[in-house]
Amino acid sequence: MASATNLRLQIETALAKRVPAALTLKIKQAPEVFSTGIEEVDAVLGGGIPRGSITEVAGGATTGKTSFALSSIAAITQSGAACAWVDVSDALSPESAAAANIVLKRLLWLRISAERRERITDKPWSRLGQALNATDLLLQAGGFAAIVLDMSDVLPQHIMRVPLSTWYRFRLAAEQARTALIFLSQSPCASSCATLSLRCELAGIQPFRSEKETALFERQRYSLVRERNRNEGSAIVRKKPPVRAEWSAETPWSRVR
Amino acid sequence: MYAVLHPPNFAAQVVAQQRPELRKRPVALIDGEPPADTVVAANKAARGLGVEVGMTRLQAATIPEVVTIRRVHEDEVAAQSILHTIACMFSPRIEYVEIHPGTYALDIDGMNGMFGDEMRLANKLRQRVMTEGFLANVAVAQNFDAALCLALGRTGVSVVPQGGEATALRDLPLHVLNLTAEQAETFKAWGIRTCGQLAALVETDLISRIGQTGKRLYSLARGAWPHLMFPVESNFEDSLVERMELDFPVELLEPLLFLLGRMTDTLLERAKAKARAIASLRVVLHLDGGKRHERIVRPALPLEDKLTLLKLLQLDLETHPPGAAILSLELHAHSAEPYRAQHGLFLPQAPEPGRLEVLLARLRKLLGEERVGSVELKDDHRPNAFRIVPFAPPPPKRSEQRNLAVATALRVCRPPQTIGVVFTGSVPARVFWDGQGYAVREIAGPWRVSGQWWNEANWCREEWDVRLATESAERVCRIAFDPRSRCWYVQGTYD
Repeated sequence: MASATNLRLQIETALAKRVPAALTLKIKQAPEVFSTGIEEVDAVLGGGIPRGSITEVAGGATTGKTSFALSSIAAITQSGAACAWVDVSDALSPESAAAANIVLKRLLWLRISAERRERITDKPWSRLGQALNATDLLLQAGGFAAIVLDMSDVLPQHIMRVPLSTWYRFRLAAEQARTALIFLSQSPCASSCATLSLRCELAGIQPFRSEKETALFERQRYSLVRERNRNEGSAIVRKKPPVRAEWSAETPWSRVR
Repeated sequence: MYAVLHPPNFAAQVVAQQRPELRKRPVALIDGEPPADTVVAANKAARGLGVEVGMTRLQAATIPEVVTIRRVHEDEVAAQSILHTIACMFSPRIEYVEIHPGTYALDIDGMNGMFGDEMRLANKLRQRVMTEGFLANVAVAQNFDAALCLALGRTGVSVVPQGGEATALRDLPLHVLNLTAEQAETFKAWGIRTCGQLAALVETDLISRIGQTGKRLYSLARGAWPHLMFPVESNFEDSLVERMELDFPVELLEPLLFLLGRMTDTLLERAKAKARAIASLRVVLHLDGGKRHERIVRPALPLEDKLTLLKLLQLDLETHPPGAAILSLELHAHSAEPYRAQHGLFLPQAPEPGRLEVLLARLRKLLGEERVGSVELKDDHRPNAFRIVPFAPPPPKRSEQRNLAVATALRVCRPPQTIGVVFTGSVPARVFWDGQGYAVREIAGPWRVSGQWWNEANWCREEWDVRLATESAERVCRIAFDPRSRCWYVQGTYD
């Protein structure tokens, strides 16, 4: 045993100039995370969404992506940091943002609108290009704790045509700027560039409450599936099974009651 | 003690400073309305070739190799403000000597602690002026007018000890006393050429011959004329202006930026000398056809960085380009206290103010003016009433808000999309949206909202929350009916 230790020491000393600590395992720092503001989700994600890396949130319409992102941004802006929302379809509702307790003065909203004659469902190349350029500028400037790239209304086949090198570049830039970059899309797009990959689903049908004569849409139950978390990597690489968390969101008018 | 700074042949020096390539060539400066324009100044090389002040333009042009240039008063004003700034660096009390352009008198009493003795101060002053491209004479004396006469008459630096003014002025020619033509003629007839010869006359005899002005000239020649100093107390903000006329119209922005860069640099130097920063820049472009294009760049915080200011100017002019070729430009600056912030290791992350300004300008150029900023809700009953305000995050500070349940977000369709609706009774039962049919599984409503019925901007609609379903997917949306256009549309999707 002692000879093995000596041998290792000799090899490391010989290679010290070229490879520092060649045979010693690198100590991995615990990732810095931002709380999402949803306890059930934080418990599954190990504290929240990671800082300095890409988190992608995928899911169809009415699966809670936007509510989840707004809740995360609310928690970050309340901590005093600045955030940005790159809105490819100009779909953010300021009332929803205010209802989610976001400090609106700390949120930079970039509204990318369709050309006058272009329908929102048409091919979104110019809008997507502008959004990617804007995200690039935000990452290069630095100083934003989180940036949301909201591509929820862009069809998956259109997002798939964005070159993989773009996501790699974003990953590096996010790491350098210590920014949590959150993608909202209908299906996963960033593949291995995303540190955390989440899938949003509808958890079950919560009927509109019928009280006397009037029905009222009060709450919706969503589920979040953690498909991959690179920060949980261990010495032995093995694929972990997806973990699921269920949470519910209320409409602002039902919170008042 | 007074120090007088005098750049001889100021108008010609301004030309050499603005166009360094003409420094070694014979240059004659022309002023006046053609064809009656005359030479008003000439440099040494031109004078050597025979150019004289007062010649007509044609006469000057007949002398080979002489370059004739039209006088630009704006350049002279700009050069004078440079000298003014330098003079202000050496003394808080300065006086502008109007009859000799570019000449400043400085009260240097008590400045020894900062600049050393008089000789050192005079040398430093002269060197500082030379770094800006001017040649100047500097003279220091106890008497104001003695220092002025010495600066006019002697090249380089001259320092006169207290009581030695008469001796120092002795050999100077009489023109330093700023004589009238009549007085000059009289003294020439008397055979008096120097100040020493004038000072040797008997004072009462001189007064009896040429009047009371004789007393003044006699005292000036002996360096004993008393002077009450009127220090310049100009408004600093007025001096933060740079003007430039172009030789030929410029259409492209890129060559203009070189000029704007130089002008910004000068303004910034001037502001920094007063320990201030630039709070806003106003560019006035005079265009071909007599039009005027004016833009104001106002960073959120006063800036001291030339590159940032220049980038903001560039992005603003690229977003709002002038409509025609540019003939001349002006740059007005407004100064303010520089931004000072105490940073902390444990404060949350926030964008750096200077970089944020450039970032926002870039984003505005990319996406449009009204598309970048932070949102502010309006005090209005109309759903989703908001305005976009410039993004200026408040200083990092933790704000504690009560924790409520997570809110369901609505994704708004802008503009609202029209849909087809099939009813069962008076309730929507089926919705056709974007070429797809949805069955209405659940419905809540109608919520009738209206407002501003008293004016043209009135609005009125019936809103429904619906759970729509196809065979594979399900979504909760808000649909609305507009009674005025009798049209159904989707307001947004809950997500």
